[in-house]
Amino acid sequence: MSSAVVAPAYPSPRGWWTRRRRSYLIAFLFVAPAVVNFLLFRYVPILAAIRSSLWQYSLLGGYGKFIGLQAYGRLLQDPVFWKSLTVTVQYVLLKVPAQIVLSLALAILLQREDRFSAAVRSAIFAPVVTSIVVISVIWSLMYHVQLGLFNSILTSAGLPRVVFLSNARVALVAIVIMMVWKEIGFSLIVLMAGLKGIPDTFHEAARIDGASSWQQFRSITLPLLRRVLMFVVVTQTIFSFQVFVPVYTMTKGGPLDSTKVIVYYIYQNGFLFQDMGYASALSMITLIVLLGVSTAQMRWLRSEVEY
Amino acid sequence: MWIRIWASVTVLLVLAVLESVATGDLAPVAGSPSPTVPLRAQATKPPVVLKLLAITDDAQIQAWKEILQEFRKIDGGKWSSVDIAFETVPFQDLFPKIESAVAAGAAMDIVQSDGPDMKHYAFYRSLLPLGKYFTDAEMKQWLPQSVEEGSFRGQLYGPPMMQSCSLMVYNREMTDAAGIKPPATLDKSWTMAEALTAWQKTTAHPSGSSIPSVWGLRWGQGTWVGDYEHGIFRRSNGAKGSATYEGMGPDGVTFVGYFDTPEAVEAMQFYQDLHRKYKVTPIEAIPQIFETKKAAFMVTPDNRIGELNRLYGEGKFPWGVTGIPYFKTQLCHTGSWAYGISPNTKHFNESLAFVKYASSDAGARIWYKHVRQLPANISLLNTLPEYRPGGKQTIWIEAMNKIGAPRIQTPGYTEYQQVFAEVTLNIMAGANVAEQMKAGAQRIQGLLAKYKGWK
Amino acid sequence: MQVNRPSLAIEPLPLRPWRVAVPRRARNVAARGVQVALGVVLLIVYIVPFAWMILGSLRLETEIFQFTYPLSWHTFVPVVWSVKNFLDILGLSPEGRSFGLDFGRALGFTALVSAGVVVSSLIFNTMGAYFFARLEFPRKDLVLLFVIATLLIPFEAVMVPLYIVVRTLHLQDTYWALVLPWYASPFVIFALIQFFREIPRELDEAATMDGASHLGILRHVIVPNALPGLITTALLEFQFIWNLFYWPLIAVGRKDLQTIQVAIAQQTTQTQVYWGRIFAGSVLASVPVIILFLLLQRYYIKGVVMSWLKG
Repeated sequence: MSSAVVAPAYPSPRGWWTRRRRSYLIAFLFVAPAVVNFLLFRYVPILAAIRSSLWQYSLLGGYGKFIGLQAYGRLLQDPVFWKSLTVTVQYVLLKVPAQIVLSLALAILLQREDRFSAAVRSAIFAPVVTSIVVISVIWSLMYHVQLGLFNSILTSAGLPRVVFLSNARVALVAIVIMMVWKEIGFSLIVLMAGLKGIPDTFHEAARIDGASSWQQFRSITLPLLRRVLMFVVVTQTIFSFQVFVPVYTMTKGGPLDSTKVIVYYIYQNGFLFQDMGYASALSMITLIVLLGVSTAQMRWLRSEVEY
Repeated sequence: MWIRIWASVTVLLVLAVLESVATGDLAPVAGSPSPTVPLRAQATKPPVVLKLLAITDDAQIQAWKEILQEFRKIDGGKWSSVDIAFETVPFQDLFPKIESAVAAGAAMDIVQSDGPDMKHYAFYRSLLPLGKYFTDAEMKQWLPQSVEEGSFRGQLYGPPMMQSCSLMVYNREMTDAAGIKPPATLDKSWTMAEALTAWQKTTAHPSGSSIPSVWGLRWGQGTWVGDYEHGIFRRSNGAKGSATYEGMGPDGVTFVGYFDTPEAVEAMQFYQDLHRKYKVTPIEAIPQIFETKKAAFMVTPDNRIGELNRLYGEGKFPWGVTGIPYFKTQLCHTGSWAYGISPNTKHFNESLAFVKYASSDAGARIWYKHVRQLPANISLLNTLPEYRPGGKQTIWIEAMNKIGAPRIQTPGYTEYQQVFAEVTLNIMAGANVAEQMKAGAQRIQGLLAKYKGWK
Repeated sequence: MQVNRPSLAIEPLPLRPWRVAVPRRARNVAARGVQVALGVVLLIVYIVPFAWMILGSLRLETEIFQFTYPLSWHTFVPVVWSVKNFLDILGLSPEGRSFGLDFGRALGFTALVSAGVVVSSLIFNTMGAYFFARLEFPRKDLVLLFVIATLLIPFEAVMVPLYIVVRTLHLQDTYWALVLPWYASPFVIFALIQFFREIPRELDEAATMDGASHLGILRHVIVPNALPGLITTALLEFQFIWNLFYWPLIAVGRKDLQTIQVAIAQQTTQTQVYWGRIFAGSVLASVPVIILFLLLQRYYIKGVVMSWLKG
């Protein structure tokens, strides 16, 4: 029995309420509660934010006068905005590829079911479920130029000290390393679930045909992982683009604006510079940029693989 | 397997529900218990719960709880049905929390506001003007600097909680070991150049290491870089009344030509040198540096003593205090927290009465007992033994009266402090001082343009 | 699709992405050696920060930063072992009681909030993902785009308007303010759609032939086969709520409604930071969640293997 429903060839006794429409209604009921949540708790605030970007608006002062797209014009000429956009892009370009490649490698290496692999997997997953605030605090202490664990180890090995967080060239990389450390577990788990979805029989057949491990990886694993890989790449890009807490806790945008990511600049404007309207305009631009990036990624990575 | 998962989830849920029922999470709570309220009063008056938004500080909460108990007894028990629900927020997040509450019109009664921010709140009408509820006699309870700080356009918006002034405390054991005797009286205070020698002498390097095991100096509390301590550097390099000393134009929104004068730049260059050239103070702030005996000198208000007592026991830490070093004019920033009443309050009379009592001499006495920071009430300064002549903390009063200067008074203080903090951190990280100061002045002026004509 | 299994009982070999031109036995041993070495390095890299945090929580406050430099045994191991920090934050010591600390309650409350979100999320997100993965609806792709687009805006920008919405509904300062905005999540739906799409439609059709309704398909086909995905997203949702900081900070103010992250952040005051308590609080906040994951991981692994052996 086909699951598609065709419209009757004669006027239905129920008039407008056709079978198709009824099935649409039933379908919609499945997603209705979620839609209510999104409309109420996500769209209304977003629309409010869009509105506030067209007015002079501050949290304490409320709505001032209507200024249309002036905030957007101002933003395009704001060197700090461009700097923060650059910093954010740098951050994403460092973090996401590193995370994907490493977690893919780890997913393959840690596939075994033995206790040792399970222990390593659990250790890798522990930071994922730990608060980002806690991790940032611990790592900022570890990165400390004098008191930090890393420098203790380096100096004990006879190496020179490294300045991490107060060094404009290194600070962003230091945050990237910490975030990759923290979030690899998440993509690892998702990729592992994807890997398990590839029946072993495929690999067996390939091996019987004489394929090497690398060939198997390229021709079997990678294509069949596409959907999961796409999911991980797109979501990690979206979340990495919106990084905030590590910067807020560890560097406050410095030194020399080298870690001032876009969301930190948004926070500064909205909560500290009493200019929420401008902050909302910045958020809209972030939204548009992310929309473009995610769509491009999804198109690039989409696959029609059915098996 | 399915079943096992559901079972464990259910068990978790049941345990959580039981736990919360046991601690009364799901039941409505009416604030802290009040054992001293007589049953008669309870029967006749409905309890009024005031929401007090404050920074997280246990000493303060203890102080308020005791003040509340006494408050209930005054005026023949008129306020015996008043209770307080504390909402505490970490210091960094107090400002966003207040802003969110105001933007959403959330119910709030009393708000702990930072002195220099009072004008910011008042400008946006986020606090109620209270001038007409205080008599002249009541206003005279407090130091005139406190009244000025808590006022906007001549009206009082916030009675003060306490005062402050920063001086330089030091570790006596370390200075004795280095053969240094810091001046004991304010009039003989070190200049920056003299202090630098002391800092260099007390910075100790273990053999073969470039990093000191003990630093000479920590300028400022905690790990925060704020205008309170770091603005002093800039202003001190100007003669009294000069543009550098004022740090800001008289209109409250001009900073170019005040923030970035050559003297200010020179002072901040010295500040950078302390970190990078002379290396007497760490670039990356060390937590509890003075308390863990990793710094010989520290510039801080007198609440530091309370902290030392907490960690080591009363009087067990060998601290000493000397005047704050200066370039041309010695100054310490004054001002501290104040009470504000929100326009969204539904219990104005009770809030006002509580604020009046808490900031009165009686309330301030209880406050001081717990918080141990310079009071704003004049009578306390005249009667507390540690502040009377010969007392251990007299130098703080002397400093506040002789060299104390309030922070710059402008509704744009919050924006100013943010930019100044960034500029200071960049300078510590090695940026070009003149460029940073000039750019900073421009930025601040741009951000504060919206307050033009506020006076 | 049915694939013929080889009739010989060949054990599926684990995937090895590197190749060494060496006899198989030696290759096995070498590869295994590298794997173990790598595993040990990973264990060290991941455990060391946590070990430092846990051991730091068992020290006295003045000791925490005294031994970090130079590196020594005592950098990690306390000179004086003390559970004072834990007693303080749980309100079991006089100092803790006088400060009104009650991390036990914060933990319990946060667990309640997280559990509430996870339960509602499992129900509503599963139904929503089923809609997108399986059901017919006009312009479904546009609807999905609308759903996912909400992820693209930083939370800090919509935090205050969301608070205003919550306040308008008179939910501020209640348990529901912490649960209702999250009972459905675009991210979870997006993830579940990927997992659901992996399941062959033929299984659906088989169930329909047996007379199952949509709900029946959900119950008997989708959920059992997507179990690893469901458990993964449930865990991620749990830890997301458990670790949320800014929202509980502004949406809820009452002490008894404080979540664990806010409680930890409270230990940073204007003038001093109670590091001992922060470490102890962080330990209490992290360890239960990690253990939860460890416990459920066993089912997750078993579930995955079994579901794919089935067909």
